[in-house]
Amino acid sequence: MTQPSSRRRIALVGVLVVAWVAGSVLGAAPRPRTAAAAPLFQLEPAHASFVPVLDGSEPIFVLLIGSDARPGEDVAATRADSLHILAINPAKAKATIVGIPRDSYVEIPGQGQNKINSAMFFGGPELVVETVEELTGITLDYWALTGFKTFSAMVNGVDGLMVDVPFAMDDDFSEAFFEPGLQRLDGHQALAFARNRHDLLAGDFGRSENQGLLMVSALTQFKREFTKDPGRMLIWVSSFLRHAQTTVALDDLMDLVFTATTISPKRVVNAVFPGSNAMVGTTSVVNLDPAAVQAISRDLENDGLLKVANIPPSPNAPQAGEA
Amino acid sequence: MTANRVERASKKKRRTPILLIVVPIVLVAVAALVILLLQGGEVPILGGEEKPVPAFDFTVKRSVAVATAADADVQALAPEAEAVGTEITPTIDDLYTNAFIDPSNWESGDYEEAFAAFTPDAAAAAEQNLDSLTLGATAGDDFESVDPGKGVLSYEVLFDLDGNPDTAVVSVRFTALGERTDGTFVQIVSEGQYFLRDLDGWQITAFDVTRSDEETEPPSPSVAASPS
Repeated sequence: MTQPSSRRRIALVGVLVVAWVAGSVLGAAPRPRTAAAAPLFQLEPAHASFVPVLDGSEPIFVLLIGSDARPGEDVAATRADSLHILAINPAKAKATIVGIPRDSYVEIPGQGQNKINSAMFFGGPELVVETVEELTGITLDYWALTGFKTFSAMVNGVDGLMVDVPFAMDDDFSEAFFEPGLQRLDGHQALAFARNRHDLLAGDFGRSENQGLLMVSALTQFKREFTKDPGRMLIWVSSFLRHAQTTVALDDLMDLVFTATTISPKRVVNAVFPGSNAMVGTTSVVNLDPAAVQAISRDLENDGLLKVANIPPSPNAPQAGEA
Repeated sequence: MTANRVERASKKKRRTPILLIVVPIVLVAVAALVILLLQGGEVPILGGEEKPVPAFDFTVKRSVAVATAADADVQALAPEAEAVGTEITPTIDDLYTNAFIDPSNWESGDYEEAFAAFTPDAAAAAEQNLDSLTLGATAGDDFESVDPGKGVLSYEVLFDLDGNPDTAVVSVRFTALGERTDGTFVQIVSEGQYFLRDLDGWQITAFDVTRSDEETEPPSPSVAASPS
């Protein structure tokens, strides 16, 4: 015989079963659509990005070498006509470029005093690194080397560079013929811009600064392209590695390139070691200002950055002012 | 017989027979079940309602090899680039399934599974951007259902100096139709790029992705009645 409490439980379970089933039926039934009454609209897009940047406080130093090798010559066994120390401070997302005039008369380890550009002829990129390290006291982490042809191909590999040419150029030697202003330079034109010396009031100093300007322009363009299409990064990495010799391993290069995406070109200092033209016998050389070289090197070694007091005047400023 | 006993016996006689309670309940329950089944609905299970995960696979549009060796034959690397794309695609399938499609994830707002292939740094960044990279932390409140649409991938594969694949950039375009809890519909579009590196298996190291939702008309009845 069923007890009254049992009946109540059965009734309660029954009611719950009905409620559950009925609720499921109602829940499964199509709900009224109201979208048609509302105007269609675009919700605010949500964007997310992440790149694995280096964040260490230790600066990274790369020696960028441009060889004057002509077609058929070994780029690593001729003269280093373009020399720049690239210092990157990952933690502060800043960088410094310091150009070394090619005719700088310096001590070359094992070779005595000579123009710095001859170091590569005597001992390849490694001796150039040793020479710059001895000159500056800075330990260089990597080097990268290009020649005329490979530099031109590298620039063409990224479809040219947008460069804000600081003043008019009309130089038959380098074939640099430019009006001032922002313009896209193909590989041949970029090489001409980088080589032009005869047309510059500051000669080799001004040329070195213009070479640094090309690097800043490349950073500006890379960042713009990366923002539009991050996949372009592979094209830049490919173009660099296919046309340069370097000690930067691919893994490290990827880290550096990702880090470059965080560096504002406006926060890159482009400087040149100051000095003066001189003669050694019948050879025209550059005597670097030893005090300035020391001050810049010590400052740079510290964090890869230059205090304002240690940034030398722009060699091209007077000529750019005339433009 | 005492007075109390008489009273209890009287009450006993007034009680409704048990069958009069149970039978209508069973009849109503059966009727409701029949209605449910006729409508094509699914019978929920007591204690845990598991919605099915709609099947979804990306389509690979192209895979391009990008060489770093000066003397590399890019054409010769093309099959390898395709193989890399084939290898990575299930990872991206899983990412989007877990991030946008699997109801158990978006209903709970827990997308940990989605970031299984991310490096720890990338996963940490992704967790901070759930509204961009997934259906969102509050999707369980916002959405009733999500039906995946088209998904297209394009690969660019960077090869190292020895001709080994090193880095892949996958461009993604994913669409889905979301039904919101207010009954309106949105076209969900996730577009962007993921960087993957071969670090003992392909892992996502970087990303740049935009999600945009655009309110849209309700789907035609035939589409609405057959969620995939």
